[in-house]
Amino acid sequence: MSSSRSVGEVRASRRLYLACLMAMLGGAVFLGFLVGTLGPIGPGEPERITFDEAIKAIFGMRDTGPTYVVSVFWDIRIPRVLLAGLIGASLACAGAAMQAVFRNSMADPFIIGVSSGAAVGAASAGLIGLTALSAMFAPLFAFVCSIITVFAVYWLGVYRGRVYVDTLLLSGVAVAAFLGAVVSFLIYYAGQDYHQLIPWLLGSLSTAKWSYVYLIAFPAFAGSIVIFLYGRDLNALLLGEETAHNLGANPEFLKKLMLAVAALMTAGAVAFAGIIGFVGLIVPHMMRLIFGADHRMLVPASAMFGATFLILADALSRVVIPAEELPVGIITAMCGGPFFLYLLRRSRTRGEAS
Amino acid sequence: MKLEVKNLSFSYGSKPILKDISLEVKEGEFVALMGPNGSGKTTLLRCLTRYLPTESRTILVDMKPLHTLSDREVAKTFAVVPQSSATDFQFTSHDVVMMGRIPHIESRLSGENKHDEEVARRALERTGASGFARRPFSELSGGERQRVIIARALAQEPRALLLDEPTVYLDVSGQFDMMDLIKRLNKEEGITIVAVLHDINLAARYSDRIALLSEGRLEAFGTPEDVLTPEMIQSVYGVEVAVRRDPFSRSVFVMPRRSRVVARRHGTRVHVLCGGGTGGPVMKVLVEHGYAVSAGVVNVLDSDYENAKDLRVPVVAEVPFSQIGEEAHSDNLKLVDESVAVVLSPFPVGPGNFRNLEAARYALDGGKKILVLKPEKCPDIDFVGGRADAFIKNLITSGAVRVLGAEELVSQIPKAGS
Repeated sequence: MSSSRSVGEVRASRRLYLACLMAMLGGAVFLGFLVGTLGPIGPGEPERITFDEAIKAIFGMRDTGPTYVVSVFWDIRIPRVLLAGLIGASLACAGAAMQAVFRNSMADPFIIGVSSGAAVGAASAGLIGLTALSAMFAPLFAFVCSIITVFAVYWLGVYRGRVYVDTLLLSGVAVAAFLGAVVSFLIYYAGQDYHQLIPWLLGSLSTAKWSYVYLIAFPAFAGSIVIFLYGRDLNALLLGEETAHNLGANPEFLKKLMLAVAALMTAGAVAFAGIIGFVGLIVPHMMRLIFGADHRMLVPASAMFGATFLILADALSRVVIPAEELPVGIITAMCGGPFFLYLLRRSRTRGEAS
Repeated sequence: MKLEVKNLSFSYGSKPILKDISLEVKEGEFVALMGPNGSGKTTLLRCLTRYLPTESRTILVDMKPLHTLSDREVAKTFAVVPQSSATDFQFTSHDVVMMGRIPHIESRLSGENKHDEEVARRALERTGASGFARRPFSELSGGERQRVIIARALAQEPRALLLDEPTVYLDVSGQFDMMDLIKRLNKEEGITIVAVLHDINLAARYSDRIALLSEGRLEAFGTPEDVLTPEMIQSVYGVEVAVRRDPFSRSVFVMPRRSRVVARRHGTRVHVLCGGGTGGPVMKVLVEHGYAVSAGVVNVLDSDYENAKDLRVPVVAEVPFSQIGEEAHSDNLKLVDESVAVVLSPFPVGPGNFRNLEAARYALDGGKKILVLKPEKCPDIDFVGGRADAFIKNLITSGAVRVLGAEELVSQIPKAGS
């Protein structure tokens, strides 16, 4: 970085970076549309369609080819890619917000108990047989239970109206451990019937529908925008709550707002796609290594890269094993881990060289 | 900016931290907040910044109650420099300074403009931090970091700077650089300063007034000369000190004088003939061993005169730069008469104080025990052409005992009642 860069130059370079990320996201969306059992990129079984046919299907031109091709794209593939994008963005933004609130780059959006609460909800919905009545019961229960869990963890971390982040963190860990045991018990108790829960526990987008996309779009967009607008305050918070206060940013309000927004975004994501690990932890961290800690860059970058990352991971999950789908959580961890380690090493060696 | 604190009390739960504090800070003043650990200094600062809640109307800024201001208005009034700042997150120093503009940026949608940039640049310049503006904040040294933090505080364009022990993690040169910088901002730019300082001498040297807290109460508030008395420091810190004036700046400074605990005050009288600072160690050892010590004859500006005063030893003094006169000499002999033993410290002997040697002779003739302190490496003390050396040699041949050090003295003087 040259020492003479002015605000204008910094802003211009940021716009350029964001434009690149946007282009990457566009590319990922397009690629996501094409990858799958039915598509020009994929195993080609039971049937391969050409690139042309796929494009036509995406643009809804029903005049050529069998009609089910169009419906596979419009009823399954496209909502799935969009859902992956929205969930990826939600998890990454919520992760960035949590890392700021906890002033700890090891924090993730699940740290306040969202995922463990959701798991209990989804498992119990199955146990009482509600999932048999309607497929919407599992996400509904997951969402409600994760919000209840977040309230419980929050209540444990608050004393006289002040949020004590270290207590909150430990409460989150303890509650997650407890609920994890509850879920394990439920699975063990229910035996065979619970194999259907496994993809959900490992994160999967295979149930994607348009209704999910509509439901998740609001928390994803509104949440990311709120986090972005409080970016300057989050920057100050990273230097400590007292410093944030002294700079005119109200840290108590900020922490509560961020916890609420991140909890909603994450609970929505988990309800529909299960527990997709790593995105909320790794993506904001990666973006920080590349662009620095300023949230006005970090939040949009995380949103776009989170979306890109999950769309690509999901596309890979569809084709990596022929005629079978791997839970996407496995892919995110397998791809995210090494890439993250590479970035970490690189920044370390670069730091020593300078 | 005028800052008033009126009957401010603060408790953590049921534990009172600040008790009924009232003070006023004038525009452009440099006030040091002092007191032992746990006396409430940092709490007081936190009440001023409203980080801790206070009762309404206990703190007034230009007659306006602090609680009526918005968070941003408070941040434009007070900027805080904490003891140290650290973050694991990657910000450049420039980013950190820019954070000082947060209270000034009206809309969440707008970024920093040219003016903000200019203010930040100037702030970095004023604190001498321009050179590392683009370096990662986390990689700076403690002193560099404090400069960046002060620059951030300046970027807030505050009406007063509140500093919480800004020098505590700095080495000696860093401490002076930091204090000089703060003083310059205070003098040249008229920024009001309220600083928690632990180092009494830094506070005495740099501040206009000192507010001394003890167990949550304001014990004293005034100029360093008024507040930093041995009695006050003894009562607040429980430490014995001597207060002196710096010969160059004329500001007061204190020196700790922790004495060993006296086992038993037996009150055996010993008179010390001294001058030129040679009597200090002798008097101190004797006082610590419970002797009732007196001293003479010294001139009023002599450091032995101050030593005697610090140790609360009665001393016969002559006016500055004068020969020992009749009156002083006879007072000296009176004290010799009252003593069991007389110590002759290795003071430089000139025509003016030759009579101290005569007093030693008088004591020897009167049957007192005379101890001539003459260390192995003793500088030449004779400034009367050999007469003094001859006189002392004569004393020793007539029965005076030579001792090599102050500690040895003690074994030579019998204690009353033993």
